[in-house]
Order: sequence, then structure tokens, then C-alpha cells
Amino acid sequence: MPLVYDELRRIAARYMGRERPGQTLDATGLVNEAFLRLAAERTREFQNRTHFLAIAALSMRQILVQRARGKRAAKRDGGGHQVTLNDLTAPPSAVRAGFERSDAERPGDVDVLALDEALTRLSAFDPEQAQIVELRYFGGLTVEETAEAVGVSPATVKRQWAMARAWLKQALEGGA
Amino acid sequence: MTPQRWSQIKNVFQGALERPAPERAAWLEAECGGDVALLAEAEKLLRSHDTLGGFLARPAEVDPEDLALASPPEASPDGSADDGVIWHAGDRIGEFEIIRPIGRGGMGVVYLATDRRLHRNVALKSLPAALAGNAELRERLRREARAAATITDPAVATVYSLEEVEGHVLLATEFLDGRTLRAVLDDGPMNVADVYTIALQVAQGLRAAQEAGVVHRDLKPENVVITPGGSAKIVDFGIARLEGPGHTHEPRLTRAGAMIGTPAYMAPEQLMGEAVDGRSDIYAFGVIVAEMLSGRHPLSVADAAPVNRDRTPEHELLAGLLQRIADHSRQTTPAKRVGSARELVAMLDGLAGAVTSPAAARPSRFWWEFHQVAAAAAYSAMLFPAWVARVEIGGIEGRSFFLATACAVVVAAMLRLHLWFSSRQHPRELAWARRRSVPWIRLADILLVVSLVIGAGLLAAQFVLDVVLLVLAVGVAVSSMLIEPATARAAGLEEGG
Repeated sequence: MPLVYDELRRIAARYMGRERPGQTLDATGLVNEAFLRLAAERTREFQNRTHFLAIAALSMRQILVQRARGKRAAKRDGGGHQVTLNDLTAPPSAVRAGFERSDAERPGDVDVLALDEALTRLSAFDPEQAQIVELRYFGGLTVEETAEAVGVSPATVKRQWAMARAWLKQALEGGA
Repeated sequence: MTPQRWSQIKNVFQGALERPAPERAAWLEAECGGDVALLAEAEKLLRSHDTLGGFLARPAEVDPEDLALASPPEASPDGSADDGVIWHAGDRIGEFEIIRPIGRGGMGVVYLATDRRLHRNVALKSLPAALAGNAELRERLRREARAAATITDPAVATVYSLEEVEGHVLLATEFLDGRTLRAVLDDGPMNVADVYTIALQVAQGLRAAQEAGVVHRDLKPENVVITPGGSAKIVDFGIARLEGPGHTHEPRLTRAGAMIGTPAYMAPEQLMGEAVDGRSDIYAFGVIVAEMLSGRHPLSVADAAPVNRDRTPEHELLAGLLQRIADHSRQTTPAKRVGSARELVAMLDGLAGAVTSPAAARPSRFWWEFHQVAAAAAYSAMLFPAWVARVEIGGIEGRSFFLATACAVVVAAMLRLHLWFSSRQHPRELAWARRRSVPWIRLADILLVVSLVIGAGLLAAQFVLDVVLLVLAVGVAVSSMLIEPATARAAGLEEGG
């Protein structure tokens, strides 16, 4: 676990040095790159690629939540803007960072701490759906990869994923 | 929500989704029977599903900066603190008696213990029991001891001994009763003078380490302890490795994939798993100094800490200079960084003047400068009595006297004004200018004195003018031999020149 975690951070640090400032990395690219980099020497420590990807997804979730907590704490005095995760409803130019510090709340932003909390609640009564969300959203896994990691059919993943999203949206809007 | 209830909702929800939209409402109602609550839940979820839009449709995006700055999972607050603690107060391990566990280092648990042979307190570091069998960690600890024991500097925690007792590898080091720099940073903005003092000490510690051929590799605020007396000590050369002649064949334990260190303070080449040398520590040093100055990690996107408002102009200057050293130290390319800790110390030493009052640090040249200008003016004024004397003496003697006096006055006055100008405009070149000018000034002064005395001799008939010339000669001699050297000494200029 710390190995994957470190690898993710190492990749991030590399991007930080080389790419334009403000560029974001999406979970899919990040996690797959981590796998490729570790694959050469470390494959034996992971049962297979999906096992690795599952660990990476969990790492990503922890990292994002940890940073969001830190920023919320740092901002507590300053005015209490929500720390949000962008999703695609923001125009590409505005998707500056996983965490946008803009003062304006844009529709479609996901509050990563609220999402994490809702996901924890979801896992209490449907661990499979919670895991699917973690893999799909935080790990950027495809439906097929997710199906392999969870051990169910792709069709099931699709059904569960649709329901989990519906419930989470409702939960984040304060309806559940 | 119970799993049973959820499973009921799931059945009707997913069933409804398989029907064409127009049939859903009727199907749902039939399926739920009389369970109104179930129907409401399912309908609410379906409405939410129909308005999903882009919600969670794309994987999370992350700013690389956030990722790099995240701390390792074991640092999370819910991690169990006593993980790995195997000894408690009063336990005796070999010659050590445990007082209490004091923390967890990168390598294992650290205890405060008493060395019963020497009756002194030590910080005792041991591998956690679960890891004690790990040959790699054991070997790394041995290296830590060997490497750190070769460093002797007040700014580096002293390593006392490495012992193997009852299958445990124990490292005894100086016990420091202080706070880590991290804790100090968490308190808020630091005083600039304190930043300087700590930076200088850490640089001195690094210098000693580099001279011993040791790279710390994990320098960070957590590894700098500030004692109650205010001195800084680098601790935990836990991942240092020996380098230099005789040690080059030691295999490195830190291959790619087994990276050690804290990313937020690690140099880019270290993050990349490339060759690491003392310049990587200089990078970490730069990050730490920048963090002390601003109160936040230089790569952090968090808002800067409120600026310390008590800064005087001297403090602003010092902060600016420290910032430049920090920036120079944390260049991405190792070759562009400050070359060595020795250089770092020299640069910081150079700032010493700005810490105390700049005026006190460097003696003022005011009186020396004043003397230069006053002497030049007084010499020039002598041309008037000299002209009167020339007329009185008359003939070839008179003209010769005036010519000699005027030559001496022009040389002595011009060179003094030249030095004054150098002192004001090019202080760095002043010493060099003095070396060139002072012998000629002395020569001109002697010529002037001699010329005035001879003039007085030729003027035997004119008592008043005679006395004036002799007084001027004595004045020039006293000024040149006594007053000028005194002002130069006071200005800190007196040396071989």
C-alpha cells in the first residue's frame, strides 16, 4: 500500500516539474502509469493488474480526502469555501485542478469530503456499490476492469454503478 | 438504511430501469404493492438517476501538487500511535532502562532511556519487533550509526553507540529535550532573526555531514529539533549513506521502488530515483528555509501565513536575502544550486551584518571620509598663503617654492578626493584604491611639509608669514601621521596598505 501510494506521489512530482503549472492528471492515467512503472520489478507483490488498480484507487481516495481535509482546515478561518472536485460540467479551461480554489461554487462540482462521507455510509449497506464507485471514480477503472476487480459481470457493474451514482447524488444534495 | 431495505429498493429500481420509460411508473406501483415508502424511495432515486448529467461520469482529477504533498498513510491521524511500541517504563534492555516511548521515527520507535553505565539519558531507537527480522532495515540502521558517528558538530545530534541486545538492534543517540521545527512552524510566523539562526546552524550541520561524506537524504522540519536554548540540531540520519572514497561499493538500499524520504522535501533527482549527493540535502534546506520565511511549504497552494508585522527594514532586508539563498538552494537542476554546505555557510555568514544592526556590524567610515574631504579642502586653501609667500620671496626661489607646494597640494588633495569618492560609490574597491594611492599621498604630504619649511626659511624677514608656513607644515605632518591613520583604523581600513 505505501508502495503504490509513494509511486503515485512520485509520478505527480515528476509532472509537477515538467508540465505546465495547473495541469491536472486524471485518475485513469495516473493509476495506469503507476502500474507500468511498478510492473517491471514489483508484479509479484500484486496478484494481478486489477489487484494493483484496486489498491491504487484506495490510495487516490485517501490522498484526495487527506488534502481536502488539510485545505478545509487551512481555510476554516478564511471564509469556509467548499473544497470541491471538478467534474466534466466545468468547461475544460476551468478544470484547473482537482481542487479548485475559486470563490464561486460552480454547479456540478463534487465536494470530495462529502462524497467520501456518503461513500462510507453507502458501504455500510452496500459494500459492493461503494467499492465500484471507488474503483470507477477514484481509480479511473473501466467497467471491464472494475468487473474483474470486484468479481462480477460488466452488466452488474453498470447496474450497480448507475444506482450508486443516483443515490450519491441524492445524498450530496441532502436528500438521503 | 438497512441492507435488507436497500436490497428491496435495488430490486425495484433496477427492474424499473430495464423497462421503457413510459411503463416505469405503472410497473413500479405494481411491484411495490402497498409499500408507499418503498415506492417513494425508488421514485426519488429514479428522478436522481434521470438528472445525473455528468455527476461522477469522469474519474477524479488531481492536481499533481496535491498528490506530491500528501503525507504517507501511516501519518494519518487515525493511525494507532503505539504501533510497534514493545517496551514500557522500567523495562531493562541490556544496559538501558526505558523511561518512556517518545515517538516514531522513519525507522522505528524511539524511546527515552537511561544508560546505566554512564548515568546519562539517551534517545534509544530500535527496530519494531515485527520488523526486527528484516535484514534490510537492520542493515540500514547499522549504516545510520556508522555514518552519523563520523559527524561531530553541535548542530547534529550525537550518535553514542549501536548495540545488539537480545536480538534487537539499538541505536543510542543524544537525547534532545526540545521541539521539532515542524512544531515551531505550526505555531505561526517565525521571527526573521530566528529563521536566520536556525538556517545557519542547519547549514553548519550539513557542512559537517558533507565533510564526513554523509548525505542525510531525509532532511525536513520533523528532523530538526530546536532545544530550549534555541539551538538547532539535525536528527535522524536514518537513511544517510556513506559516500566518497572507500565507500563507493556499498550497495545503495534506496533503489527505485524502495524510495525513502519525504517527497515534499525531496530534491527532484531524488524523487526520480537518480543519483543523490549532498546537493539533495541543499534542496531540502532551501525548502525548509522558504517554509520558515513564509510559514508554508513553497509548493503548497494553501494561503500564506499572515506576515509578521514586526519586521524592521533590517528584517525585511534579511528576509529578502534569506529568500534568495533559499531559492538558489532549491533549484531543480542540482548544478544550479548552491554548490556545497560550506558555500551555504559562507553565504549565511555574509548576512551576519544584517542580523544585528548593519551599522554596528560594519564600522562607519564617516570620520575617515570626513577627514579625506577636510584635508583636501585645507590643502587647497594653503595655495593662498603659498602664493603670498611666493610674491614675498620673489625670483626663481619664489616660483620654485610655489610650484613644489602646488604640486604636492594637487596630488595630495586629488588622491584624497579619489578615495572619498571610492568609499562612497565603490566601497568594494576601496581597499585596492587605498593600496595604490596611499604611498603617493604620503609622498605628496612629505613634499608639502618640506616645501613649506623651506619656504619659511626663505622668508626670514616676514615673521608672520614665516610662522603661518611653519604652522601649516606642522599641521600637515600631524594630520598625515596621526589623525589620518586614526580615522582609518576607526573605519576598519587599517591594514597593510
